[in-house]
Amino acid sequence: MKKWMRTETFAAWAFMAPGLLIVAVFVLWPIVYGLPLSLTDYSVIGETHYVGLDNYVTAFQDKSFLASLWNSMVYVLIVPIIQIISILMAILVNSRIPLIKAFRAAYYIPVVTSMVAVALMWSWLFSSNGVINYALIQLGAIQEQVGWLSSSSTALYVIMFITMWKGLGYYMMLYLAGLQSIPTDLYEASMIDGASRWQTIYRITIPLLRPHILFCTLISLMGAIRVFDEVFVLTNGKGGPGTATLTSSLYIYQKGLVQFNFGYASALGLIVSVIVGILSILVFRLNKKGGVQTY
Amino acid sequence: MNHPTITTKPNYKTPSPQARKWKKGIRYTITYVLLIALALFMTGPFLWLLSVSLMPGRNVFSNPPAVFPTFINFGNYAQVWNFMNFPKYIMNTVIITVMGVVFNIILSCMTAYPLAVFRFKGRDMVFTLLIATMIIPSSTAMIVHYLTIQWLNLGNTYLGVVLPAAVSVFNIFLMRQTFLTIPTEIRDSGKMDGASELRIWWQLVLPLVKPGIAVIMLLEVMAFWNNFLWPIVVLDDPEKYPLASALTYLNGQFSYNFGWIAAGTIISVIPIIVVFLFTQRYYMEGLAGAVKG
Repeated sequence: MKKWMRTETFAAWAFMAPGLLIVAVFVLWPIVYGLPLSLTDYSVIGETHYVGLDNYVTAFQDKSFLASLWNSMVYVLIVPIIQIISILMAILVNSRIPLIKAFRAAYYIPVVTSMVAVALMWSWLFSSNGVINYALIQLGAIQEQVGWLSSSSTALYVIMFITMWKGLGYYMMLYLAGLQSIPTDLYEASMIDGASRWQTIYRITIPLLRPHILFCTLISLMGAIRVFDEVFVLTNGKGGPGTATLTSSLYIYQKGLVQFNFGYASALGLIVSVIVGILSILVFRLNKKGGVQTY
Repeated sequence: MNHPTITTKPNYKTPSPQARKWKKGIRYTITYVLLIALALFMTGPFLWLLSVSLMPGRNVFSNPPAVFPTFINFGNYAQVWNFMNFPKYIMNTVIITVMGVVFNIILSCMTAYPLAVFRFKGRDMVFTLLIATMIIPSSTAMIVHYLTIQWLNLGNTYLGVVLPAAVSVFNIFLMRQTFLTIPTEIRDSGKMDGASELRIWWQLVLPLVKPGIAVIMLLEVMAFWNNFLWPIVVLDDPEKYPLASALTYLNGQFSYNFGWIAAGTIISVIPIIVVFLFTQRYYMEGLAGAVKG
């Protein structure tokens, strides 16, 4: 063995080489290659040409793409709803009463099951002669069957509901980890001062959960914009009815991997990436503004 | 008279022990009612699906809806098992999952180890690069992955399915956190005995990071078991599909035969729910650890 081979630097790089190679090819390369690809008309047929910003010009005139962007923005509405419900759930399960672990596990089951199974299940429940319509008619909430997934005014919201339902347990566990890191003497002190339960939640719990709220908001934001599986399964990859549930990821998939328009699909992908980036920065800013700084 | 005010003034802060007991009881009841209602909301759909899958002939659209099984019959399961060639799809899923999990464990342990314990040139650079890839959003990844896999001639192979997710930056950081907890004396003692770095890693260090490996294993088992889109993109031959992909495919073709698809769905989710229920302690700890890290 040569002397340089025995150095720590050599050993380090030898250990990291296989993993870094995979990261370079499948994580770094897509980020780098996306831009040049988006400036071409690369597809399965014909020669590839450099087309400048043509793809971007086309994108902003593409009605389906604009509709998909709008749907993705609507989808972001689930982000604050998820935070509120999962924080309340975390507060509910943050105790040591009997069976609490079983309940936590039960809430987590939708998280571990595949989106295919979850989406199929809910599509039957939401079908026009399914359980949900039956129950709502019995309760007198609606007069006749509603085509939840076939009507363009409700389909997107139904899919948003399914996304939320599947994710709640995950965010609940993240918030629970946050709650358990809050020292209990803060709560004792507030009780001595005569604060009500809601006051403690509002004045102590929420401010101290700030880092967790930031983390969960960012994750769910990216999840909402990249939503794909549930839309794919529920609409057979079409995003219908019409473009009612066409989200930007689904449209990129259709352009890139169904119609094999790699260049155009990359341009769409980069536009979405930029939007995600801007939204993430906004979340950071909002989270830092005002209130207690905990980090 | 000693302090008459104290005895006459009604004290709201400390109610009688009985009232306190009542209050506690009511609070308990409310908590459990909420917990049970939420449990029904989260698991009810699965139970409903199980119930209808066990009743051939009755279906999802029967009126009133079949919420509780009035009889039990495994007909749907027997039929879909033979018709769909389930053992084959389960085998495919197992192959993909095992490959994916093994790759992830080995590669993240190897990559994270020097980042945690070695001092070497370029360490900060690797670090910055890895963090950058986590922050930069990539919506074009799937298209570039597809081109790369075609270029590597890995289309229609399981290696092509697994490779893009063979290691994640998240797992590397998770393992690094774990390696940081190992005392440096372990490596030093190995060196004293003249062991090679590879041997120290394999025989001395890896046995100590089993909890971290368990977490990655669980996360990846679930990710690979449930992944359906990428296998559809890479595999041209539906016979090679894993369960989740096959289910999507079958639902497109046989959606009229609800009972079968319901039974198929239940068969596909049961293994993962069982794995989760038996390993949830590690799983939850890993999740909490991941947030801190």
